[in-house]
Amino acid sequence: MAKTPVTFTLNDAETALFVDPGANLNEVLRRGAGDLTTKHGCGQGTCGACTVLIDGVPHLSCLTLAETVERRRIDTAGGLAGGPNLHALQTAFMEGFAAQCGFCTAGMLMAAKGLLDANPNPTRDEVAEAISGNLCRCTGYEPIIDAILTAAARMQGRAV
Amino acid sequence: MLSVETFPTLQEAAGAVGPRAKFLGGGTLVMRAVSYGDQSFEKIVRAKTVDRAIGSHAAGLRVGAGATMADVLAARDLEFLHPVARAIGGPAIRNMATVGGNLFAPNPYGDFAAALLALDASVEMADGRTMPLADLLATRDHVTGLVAGVVFQRPESSAFRFRKISRVKPKGVPVISIAVHLKRGDPRVVFGNMAPVPARSVGAERALANGSDGAAIDAACAACLEGLAPEDDALATEWYRREVAPIHLRRLLEDGGQI
Amino acid sequence: MTIHKGRGFACINYPIGMNLGGDPSQALVHSTPDGKFMVALSSIDLGQGMKSVTRQIASETLGVPVEDVYVDTADSDTGPHCMGSFASRGTHRVGNAVIRAAAEARKQMMEAAAEELEVNASDLDTDGAGNIHVKGAPSRSISVAETAIAAQFKQGRTLSGRGIFLIPPSDADPETGEMTPVTCFAHAALVIDLEVDDETGEVEVKEINSAYEVGRALNPKLVEQQLIGGAWMGVSHALYETTEPNYPERDHRPEDFNTYLMPGPGQVVPHNLAVLERPAEDAPFGGKGPGEMCANPVLPAIANAVYNAVGVRCDRLPITPEKVLRGIRANGGARPQGMPG
Repeated sequence: MAKTPVTFTLNDAETALFVDPGANLNEVLRRGAGDLTTKHGCGQGTCGACTVLIDGVPHLSCLTLAETVERRRIDTAGGLAGGPNLHALQTAFMEGFAAQCGFCTAGMLMAAKGLLDANPNPTRDEVAEAISGNLCRCTGYEPIIDAILTAAARMQGRAV
Repeated sequence: MLSVETFPTLQEAAGAVGPRAKFLGGGTLVMRAVSYGDQSFEKIVRAKTVDRAIGSHAAGLRVGAGATMADVLAARDLEFLHPVARAIGGPAIRNMATVGGNLFAPNPYGDFAAALLALDASVEMADGRTMPLADLLATRDHVTGLVAGVVFQRPESSAFRFRKISRVKPKGVPVISIAVHLKRGDPRVVFGNMAPVPARSVGAERALANGSDGAAIDAACAACLEGLAPEDDALATEWYRREVAPIHLRRLLEDGGQI
Repeated sequence: MTIHKGRGFACINYPIGMNLGGDPSQALVHSTPDGKFMVALSSIDLGQGMKSVTRQIASETLGVPVEDVYVDTADSDTGPHCMGSFASRGTHRVGNAVIRAAAEARKQMMEAAAEELEVNASDLDTDGAGNIHVKGAPSRSISVAETAIAAQFKQGRTLSGRGIFLIPPSDADPETGEMTPVTCFAHAALVIDLEVDDETGEVEVKEINSAYEVGRALNPKLVEQQLIGGAWMGVSHALYETTEPNYPERDHRPEDFNTYLMPGPGQVVPHNLAVLERPAEDAPFGGKGPGEMCANPVLPAIANAVYNAVGVRCDRLPITPEKVLRGIRANGGARPQGMPG
C-alpha cells in the first residue's frame, strides 16, 4: 500500500516522513520520528498520555490521522526543555513530586502547557479542567495541580 | 488493508462514503476504531475543506458540521450551548470532536446531539437535503450521505437548560444527560442515555406544555419516563436510570440548570 | 433531597513482606574506578520510590554522598534475584539486602584506604562528603575517588559487596498451629467524612484524616506522596472501580477509561496526614514502607461512613450509587446513624 508523505514541524525541527495509510500521529511520532516522549496509553482517546500540541492547542495524538498534520506544528514533551534548562513546568513537577510511575507525565505536561499558553493565571478549577482528559494512577492529582499552579506563578514572576 | 481518500469538498467526499468507507471528522470515533483493528470498513474518507463556520442563518443559527466543541465554546452566539460543549471530553477532545460527529456518537456519548434535539435542530446534508435531527438520529446507522451543518433557532433567554450526570468530575461520560427547552406551549425535554439514541420524553413535555410551576414539575417528573427506553451499561443499570431520571429532571427544572 | 453526612473509621496492621517469610531479595554493590558506586538490583520501581530509597540506603551505609550512588534495576538478566515488588516488601527486604551489600563494599573501601594511608582500617571513618579520614585527625585523609583508583590500578582489589535478606520460611506447627507469619507490621488509622444523597445514592468523600506508622520515613516526601496518592486509589476502589459492574453477570463490562470509572481531578479529597515514626528493629534504618496499606483502610472506612450516613451496609465493592439507593429503598428510607458526641 502506498505511503503518504507528510511534512511538519516537530519541536522546531522540520520533519518529513512517509506514513502508512490510517497511521495515527502517535505511532508516527514514536516510530517514525523517534520521539518516545509521547506515550502510547489506551489508544482510545480516554487516557491523555499521548497529548501533544498541534498548532499550540492540545490534541490526542492517538486519535489524529497522521497525514492531517501536513504543514502544522507539533509540540511534544521532548521539546519542552531548552537544552539543559528544564521548562518551569518540568521543574515544578520534579520539585513537587508530581510524578510517581511517570507514565502520565508527558501528557500532563503538554496539557498544562496548552493551558498556560492560553491562560497564564489559571485558577485551581481551571487547572483541574485542563487535565481532566489526562488520567493519573499514582498521585491522586493534587500534586500535579499544585505543580501546574506553581509553574504558572513562577512563569509570571509571582511568589509561590 | 486500510486506505485514505481525500476529496477537495464535502460534497465529493459524500459520494465516496458507504458501508465500507467511513468519513473522518475529528477522529475521535474513526481513529479509535482504526487503532482497535475494526474490520468493518476499509477506507477513510476525508474532505480538504472543513466547514467550521458558526453564524446566523435564515432559520436562526447555523453550525458547520466540522465545528469542534472548542469552536462552539469560542462562539459568543452560542453561549447557551457552552455548558454542553464544556461537558464533553477534556480540552484535547474538545479541540477535535465535531458537532457533526456527535450526532453519530453512540451511548454513552452524544450530549451535544441531545441538546440539539431539544432545540428542534434540523440537519443539512452535503447533497442539499434537510431533515429534522430526530429523523437523522432514528436512521443514523444506515443514513446515506454526510452532514454539512445543523440549523436551529436561538432559545429565549434561560429557556434552555442542560444537565449532565457524570460520576467522574470535572469530566466524565454521563450516566444520563438532560436537555430542556421550555418553549411556551411546546416544550422539549430530551434525555441522553435513556434510549439507544437521544430521545424526547413525551410525558414530561405534555406536563410542561402549560407552564413549569410546581404542579407542572411534579407532573413532568412523574411522567418523564414515557417515551424512554433506558438500557443497562457499564455505568448504571436500567433500574437506576429509571429511578434517578425524574430526580435529576426535577433538579434541572427547579434550579435553572446549574451544572 | 437530603444530603446526609457520615463518618467512618478503619485501622490496619499491615504485615510487611510475604506471609510466613521465605521471600528473599539480593543486592550487589560495586565501585567504578572513579569512586562512584553502582547498586545492582532486579527489584522493580513502579513509581513507589524503590530506586530513591535504595540509593539513600546505600549512600548512608557506604558513607558516601548520595549523588555518587547509582541504582541499576528492573532487569532480571543483569541484576541479582528479587522476589518482586509486592506485599509492601521493597523497602524492608531489598533495603536490608542493600545494607548488607553496601556494608561489605564499605569494608573493602576502608581496607583499601587504610593501605594507602598506612593505618588500621578500624581507625578510619568516612565524612559522607566523599572522603575517608583517620578518626580524630581529619587532615590525614584520602578521597573515595583516590581510594577507588588505588584499589583498581595499584592494589588489584575490588570495592564490592554482596547482600541477601531472607526471613526464613516459617511452617505452621501441626499440633498447635503456631507460626511466625511476619516479623514486621506497619500500622494506620483513618477517618473518612463523606456525604450521601438519599435520592440518587451518590457518595461524595469530603475529607480524609489519617495517621500512619511506617517505622522511619526514609524519604518523607516519597512517603507522603505515596500515602496521598494511595488514598485516592482507595477511594477509587471503594466507590468506582470494577471490571464486573453487574457481577456475577458478565454483561456490560467497561471497555475503556471512560466506562471504567475513577475519580477525576475535580474530586481531590483534602487529606490531613500524620506520619508517626517508630523505627522497626529488623528494618533498614527502621523503615517499613507504606506500600499497599496506603489504600487499604480507605475502603472499610468509606463503607462504615456510608452506613453511618444512611444506615446502608454495603458488603460488595464498589459501593455504587445504585447499591446505596437500593439499600435506602430496602430500609424504607435513609436511616442516619448519628455522630457520636
